[in-house]
Amino acid sequence: MSRTGRDPHPVIACGEVRTCLLPTRDALDERAAVKLLRLRPDERVRVSRHPNRYVVSPEVLTGVDCPLPTDTGARVRAVGTVGSHASLVEGRVIQATASFSLPAVGTDRRQAWSYYLVRPGSLVPVGQLPQRALVRGFLLGHRPGRLDVGSIAESVLARISRQDRILDHDPPLTAADTRLRWTAVRTAAGEEPSSLFTKGEDGLRTLELSLPSGLPPTAAVGLCEELALHDWLLTTVADKLDGLPTGAADDRAVLRVLRPLVDHLLHLWMPRARVDRVLQTVWNQLEETPGYSRQWTAHAQRIRDQLALRAIHLRDEVPGRR
Amino acid sequence: MLVFAASDKGGTGRSVTSANLAYHHALDGSDVCFLDFDFGSPTAATVFDLPDVPAEAEGTGLHAYLRGAANEPLRIDVWSRTEHLDLRDRPAGSGRLVLVPGDRSGGEFVTGEEHLHRCVDLILRLHREFDVIVVDLSAGRSYAVDLVLAATSPRGGLAGLKHRWLVFHRWTRQHVAAAAELAFGPRGIVQAGAAMGHEPDVLRAAIRFVRAAVPDLESPPWSHVTPAQYAWMRHCDSTLETLASTRGVGRTWTLASIPLEPVLQWQERLITIEDVYDRQIANQATWDALIGLAQQLTDDTLWGER
Repeated sequence: MSRTGRDPHPVIACGEVRTCLLPTRDALDERAAVKLLRLRPDERVRVSRHPNRYVVSPEVLTGVDCPLPTDTGARVRAVGTVGSHASLVEGRVIQATASFSLPAVGTDRRQAWSYYLVRPGSLVPVGQLPQRALVRGFLLGHRPGRLDVGSIAESVLARISRQDRILDHDPPLTAADTRLRWTAVRTAAGEEPSSLFTKGEDGLRTLELSLPSGLPPTAAVGLCEELALHDWLLTTVADKLDGLPTGAADDRAVLRVLRPLVDHLLHLWMPRARVDRVLQTVWNQLEETPGYSRQWTAHAQRIRDQLALRAIHLRDEVPGRR
Repeated sequence: MLVFAASDKGGTGRSVTSANLAYHHALDGSDVCFLDFDFGSPTAATVFDLPDVPAEAEGTGLHAYLRGAANEPLRIDVWSRTEHLDLRDRPAGSGRLVLVPGDRSGGEFVTGEEHLHRCVDLILRLHREFDVIVVDLSAGRSYAVDLVLAATSPRGGLAGLKHRWLVFHRWTRQHVAAAAELAFGPRGIVQAGAAMGHEPDVLRAAIRFVRAAVPDLESPPWSHVTPAQYAWMRHCDSTLETLASTRGVGRTWTLASIPLEPVLQWQERLITIEDVYDRQIANQATWDALIGLAQQLTDDTLWGER
């Protein structure tokens, strides 16, 4: 359990990451990726080439003035902007993130928009902020009439999906989307960062983070995107390998499953590529138990072994070889 | 692949047959999503045996989503939620089977760009996640039909997605004529599509017919009637066949004939292999016809490709 249960640490950020396969036959090259993610004409799309190709759209702001989700039903009005952006990993996996940060104290009454606009990606509560109720309510999910951060992330994906000139909507495999809903609070002075990651039904994941003060909310966003990406990869590959008909007389059935994994997913595993150094401990905890990289290596090895066996089988079938 | 299930009238077995079609694709290992676009009377929850879903879908179903009242429509994992005993244990090697239920909430639609965008966004998203998306459309040249025609038109946003139309009809004079009218008539799918920018020939090539509740004259009880009755029925059958072929609904354009099935006369439900072999309440011929329909739907050689 994270330490968030003990003290009323101020909430610093909440958000949701949606991860899915880009609906194209082939992975996008860098130029097309930059074009796809140009969500704002006035800001540049950022590209990082190491340790893998990673393209990030400019931040888009959505103005909101509505009650925050709380598990107690308490109405907490907040005003400000929710920041969202999309990122594309190796031209193949797309992620959309919507998030906001919260100040420790709100304002007594609603301010003019100019007040909120100088705080991009920040929601300022009007009145008191019941932090525990907000964290729990946010992780429980959307209720009608409350802020829905997930739908802001989804609208970024929808906007990108509509770009027919770049996307052919003919993906080499189908994979379920995942949603990672996360909250981050501050730890008490001197405490190590900690996390609680849970996997739910229907692609829903939740992550409760406690982070040392002084760490910007963007660091939490980076960690969550990284975790969401690797969780999606592992889930997708594990689902495809689950019940693989290895005993089937027809090799093609197996190859139809394995080939897209080799072509499109196996090279994407790159943990800690863009995680803040302070947060590496959080990732290390997940590597220890349940041991994601271990599982991934086992899956990748299995796929390669299956392909090698089938290659031997095919070679034996070539007339004149034996 | 997108599959649009349309019918000339209600009571043609469109919903129940297309739900069975979705079930067969899922059994076959495909990830399948069933969208209940039957806005007047959503029935899919009944067919999949999900008694709690209609109440749950009030305000969160497809209708609410398209109107903008819900940000994302409710999704129901059929394997885990169904009360159908045979479906509780998800068969080995099967794909996902998800229902996006309809709801009765709210009034009629006002046709508008906003609905179209929301429909396109939803289907693009589901298309990433599912191999087969079955869209059960309200009967007749309904709002639902117009909506998906607009969505798949060149300016709609779904034009690049492989899509096929199934028009369900019963095996009677009136139904055959009405099915032809719905597909090719002056107010039919092809004409309406052409007005929205579809290529009429391409659209025509994407339409096939499914005959539902067809009496098989060579099997009981129909083969046990008096000679006079039998002769009359044979005559009717061949007259119907002639009528169908002159209207463009003939055998060439028919993907499957689903026999009249006693189980479906009594209950809108999925026919399972247990119904056929263990309980012996459903006919083998029905099971085979449904398998045939599922196979022919995805057999590209039977469809003039785009």
